[in-house]
This record gives sequence, C-alpha cells and structure tokens, in this order.
Amino acid sequence: MAELELSGVSKTYGAFNALKDVSLEIGDGEFAVFVGPSGCGKSTLLRLIAGLDPVSEGQIAIGGKDVTSSQAGQRPIAMVFQNYALYPHMSVYDNIAFPLQMERRSKDEIRAEVARAAQIVQLSTRLQDKPSKLSGGQRQRVAIARAIVRKPGIFLMDEPLSNLDAALRMEMRSELTQLHRRLGSTMVYVTHDQLEAMTMADRIVVLNGGRVEQVGPPMELYHNPANLFVAGFIGSPPMNFLAGTVRSVDGATVSVDALRIGVVTLPFSGEHLYAGDSVTLGVRPEALELGAGRQVQFSVVPEAVERLGLHTIVHAGEEGRPFTALFNGDPKLRAGEAINVSVDRSSVQVFDADGISRSRRTEV
Amino acid sequence: MSSRSATVGPFNRTWGAYAFLAPALLILFLSLLLPAIATIGMSFTDISFLRPTNWVGLDNYFRLMADGRFQQAIGNTIYYTLGVTFPTMALGLLAAVALNRKFPFRIVFRTIFYLPVLTSLIAAAVVWVYLYEPYSGPVNGLFVSLGLGPQPWLSSPNLAMTALIIMAVWRDFGTAMIIYLAGLQDIPEEIYEAARLDGASKFSILWRITVPMLASVTFYLMIILIVQSFQVFGAIYVMTGGGPLGSTETIVFQMYQTAFGYTEFGYSAAMSTVLFFVILLFSLVGTKIMRRGEA
Repeated sequence: MAELELSGVSKTYGAFNALKDVSLEIGDGEFAVFVGPSGCGKSTLLRLIAGLDPVSEGQIAIGGKDVTSSQAGQRPIAMVFQNYALYPHMSVYDNIAFPLQMERRSKDEIRAEVARAAQIVQLSTRLQDKPSKLSGGQRQRVAIARAIVRKPGIFLMDEPLSNLDAALRMEMRSELTQLHRRLGSTMVYVTHDQLEAMTMADRIVVLNGGRVEQVGPPMELYHNPANLFVAGFIGSPPMNFLAGTVRSVDGATVSVDALRIGVVTLPFSGEHLYAGDSVTLGVRPEALELGAGRQVQFSVVPEAVERLGLHTIVHAGEEGRPFTALFNGDPKLRAGEAINVSVDRSSVQVFDADGISRSRRTEV
Repeated sequence: MSSRSATVGPFNRTWGAYAFLAPALLILFLSLLLPAIATIGMSFTDISFLRPTNWVGLDNYFRLMADGRFQQAIGNTIYYTLGVTFPTMALGLLAAVALNRKFPFRIVFRTIFYLPVLTSLIAAAVVWVYLYEPYSGPVNGLFVSLGLGPQPWLSSPNLAMTALIIMAVWRDFGTAMIIYLAGLQDIPEEIYEAARLDGASKFSILWRITVPMLASVTFYLMIILIVQSFQVFGAIYVMTGGGPLGSTETIVFQMYQTAFGYTEFGYSAAMSTVLFFVILLFSLVGTKIMRRGEA
C-alpha cells in the first residue's frame, strides 16, 4: 500500500500537450478513478505513473519516494491492461508466476503465491490452460492475479473492463470493488465510462484536454459539478443545459431569464454574476417531476418516450438543443402531447459565461 | 439468370470456379507436376539418351543405397544445411530485434542487410571467390592483419564447405531478418510493456517473450531454409565445382553431374526422387507441427 503524489506533471509529444500541469494526491488505500472522454490524457497519465513513458515536466512520488526517473519494473506498482496483455505462449500458472520468476523467488514460494492469487480470482482449476482457452472475463482475472502476486503499493488499471460484454462488466465491477476492499491497496483506475467511475471510485478525477477539471467523491461531482464539462460528463442521461441572461442579482439569489422556463429566481454562490451576464442553467433529467409540484414549472413536448420499466426517459429537444427528462415508473405519456414538469430551485445549477459553476454548494 | 435448385449436383454449381482455375492448373501441371511424374518414372529406367532405354525397376535405388559417393553427398548436404540454417536464423533474429526499434537510419540498415538477397547468386559467388582468394583476397588480408595465417579457403577439403556456408549465411540472413521483422510486428506492444512492469530485463524479454512468441515464424523459417539448403547448387557450381576431393559435393550437385556429366539420367532421377520425398516429408511434418503450435 502506498500513496501517490503528482506535482506539476506535464507530457508533450512534439508540439502536442497531452497533459498540462497535473497535480494530484491519492491517499493510501484509496480507489481513484480517472475519467474523461477519448483523448483527454487519462491513459497517458496512467502510463506516466507506471513508468512506461517519461514525464516531460513535474514529479511523481509513490509512498513518499520520488520515482520520476525510476524504470517501470522498479516502481512499486502493477498494471492491468485493457487487452489483458497476457503472455499467450505461457500457461495461466506461468503468466501469474512471471513477475515472481523475474524477482528470482524460490519455486516453493512462487507456487504458494500463485495458488493464493489464483484462489482470490477463482481460477485455481485453470492454471494449466493457455490464455486462448479462457473467456474474456477469465483472461482479465489472470491479468489481475498477475498484478496481485507482485503485492504492489498501487494497482493501475487501464480500462480493464472495456473488452467485456455488459453483463460481465457489471459482475467484474463488483468483483474489483470487493478485491479493493479485501486487499486494501491503492488503486488507480482509468475509464471513459462514467458509470464505472460513479460506482467504483472513492474519488473521481475528471480529465479534459489534458487538464484536471475536478477531483472529488462521486456524489460531490454529481451534486456540485465545478463546471459545465463535469456537469455534462457525470450523470446519465446527461444534465440539460438552458441558455439564459441574468436579470438581477440580490444577495444570495439571482434572477435569470432562461429558455423554456422563463424568468426564475435561484440561489447562487453570491459572487461573479451581474445583471446582463450570459449564463447557462443546468437541470438534471432525474430532478424533473411530472406536474406542478415543485417551485420551477414549465412545459415540454416529448418527441420520443423510452419506457425502461423502472424509469421512463422523455426526449424533448427543441431547435437542435437536446432536453431529457427521467421519471420513475411508467407514466402514461405520448410523443407529441405536451406535459407539465417542475423542478426545485435548489436543483437548478447556474454556470457563468466561462462555464464555471456559480451555484450555492449543496451538502453531500 | 438460371434458377438454382437444391437437386443440382456439386459440379454443376462449381464448374465456374474450375473454369477460372483451369489456366493456372494447366500451367502448374505442365511445369511442375508433369516433370515430377516424368522424373519418378525415369528413376525406374536406365535412360541415358545415348542407348536404348530399359526398365530396371528398383535397381537405381538399390545402387544408391550402396553408393559411397552418394552417402558422402548426403553427409555434405546435412552439414551444409545445419551450418546455414541455424546461424542464418540466429543472425536474422538479432538483426530483426535490433532493427525493430525506432532509431535514425533504420530503414537504411534494413535495406543494406536485405541487399545480398537481391543480388544475383552467380555474381555474388564470383565476388566471394575473389574475397576468398588465398594470396590477394580481402578475407586472408584481414586474417593476416589480425595475426592469423592465410587460409586456403576454397582449396582445402576441411575449409571449402565452411567457406560456402559463410557465403550462404551472408546471402540468406536478410530473408530471415525480414520474416522475423514481420513476426515481431505482430507482437502487441502491451505484452512488452507488461513484461517491463513485471520487472523483466531486456535479455529476459528477448528469451522469455520474444523468442517463444516467434516460434511459428522460427519454424516456418527453419523449414524454408532447410528445403532451400537441401537444394544448393549455384554457389557450389561457381565456387568449388564440388571439390576439393568431393568435400562440397551435395546431393543436387551430384545429381547434375550424374545426369549431365555421366549421362546417367535414370540414376540421377532416382537421386532426385529420394531428395523430393525427403523434402516433402520435412514440409509435411513442419506444417503439421506448425498447425499444432497455432492451435
């Protein structure tokens, strides 16, 4: 177990800045998830931590020790790859034993460690098989076992579930969470799937364009997104955005004239908003209620209704601007027939013209 | 268009494919299969084109079994084949691993190493005869400058075959390098990264990851080099003429001499048939092992 500290880490490829001045601390035993869209730099950051690529600037410390210039094999880490990266010519046993063989451990010790790791990932009966005989989920378990035997300070996982089908992904998600609890190790997990991030992380690191947009526990990011990017990225279906203009500011409330909902008075942080400013209001689809039961009321015309049993998703985009509402159960709604919806004032987020959140912070 | 019914026979459905294949099959039959069948047929006769031909049954094969010169040719061929195949593969692998990395001018190096493969065998052999020249040849020049005495490369029964092997390795290792490079590019980068993270040294990565993962390429290369070496002729014809004292006389060279030197075409055809089946056996066993490895 070990903590990880990144200080001003940057990575450039020629003129392209893949990572810009990333500083971050991940605590001992923490499950941190790097999340962001393709090309945001999350895998690059993981590779820098692993030592597979050199940093252009900045420092990386693991367990308080500077490892910036250490070789990959010398860092107290183990990594699980998206494509498993198993050695196809070796049996499951040899795959798991390989890191220990490289450390020149005794045969008895290796046998015991492999048996222990195989038991943890439930592969004790497949040790003599070649990886080609295993399913995708089993291969990923071998990769995890190979990481476990190293007893690393930090587990690095690069989209380890992306190649699995939906059902297996859900199963493995829960297995990885249990494994983290059981081993108590620090885990750094990369994914582009915000659902994985929300369900597994102690803390999420949202990356975009090589920069850290926000770091925090899943519910903190969900309820108090720092900016429009995080607000749009965390949550599914994504948050609805409505363009508006500030009418007036009065202490801790702001009056905004916004598309669809008209003039509405909302609580805000009390800073950096002035009459005439352009703002964006954010409303989560699941914060909307059918009927006029909440403070902010307006009507929408569904263009498509998706019934999922547990939920009903209504798409009511207008002039190319998407708008989604999510209602519990299976209300009787029909495309083309206008419905009244409402939302609490405190559930409407306010973002300034630069996309920075000016909402009053909600206690999570 | 005619409608297809379930009762149509297989040939009726596939004649179009046969029609397209027919020209190629005809050329293959005339250029490969017919001469092969004719050679096997000739091996049961004493055909020499100088006297009437008689059917001799298996006599040529019995004669081969007792022929000391043929046995020496087999020994020479095996020595040459082993001498060429394994060093060629080892050098080809090392060159491929080195040139698979990204560094300036690597394309230039790849081209230089592959150039011998593209040169005319006869021209290269003539140049090597000059290189091995005992008094003014550069090889002996190098030996003398290193304090070693000059060697009679092509005129010593102990050295002539080694000299031929060195030349063959020089010529063939470019082929091995290109085939290994193709194999190396099939190994995902992630496998190497996983090995680095597992603490493997460069040598361990080569020995435990690269070499085993190239096993099927190695096997393929071994088979083609063995088959190619079994059939060596041109370099021997130009450089040693099978001498000195038959020390570089291989099976194919002896076949040539027997047929065109002594006009014993029937006996030569028997040698050719034996060689054909040995090579066929190698190819079949090799293919089978390779398929098992892939499974």
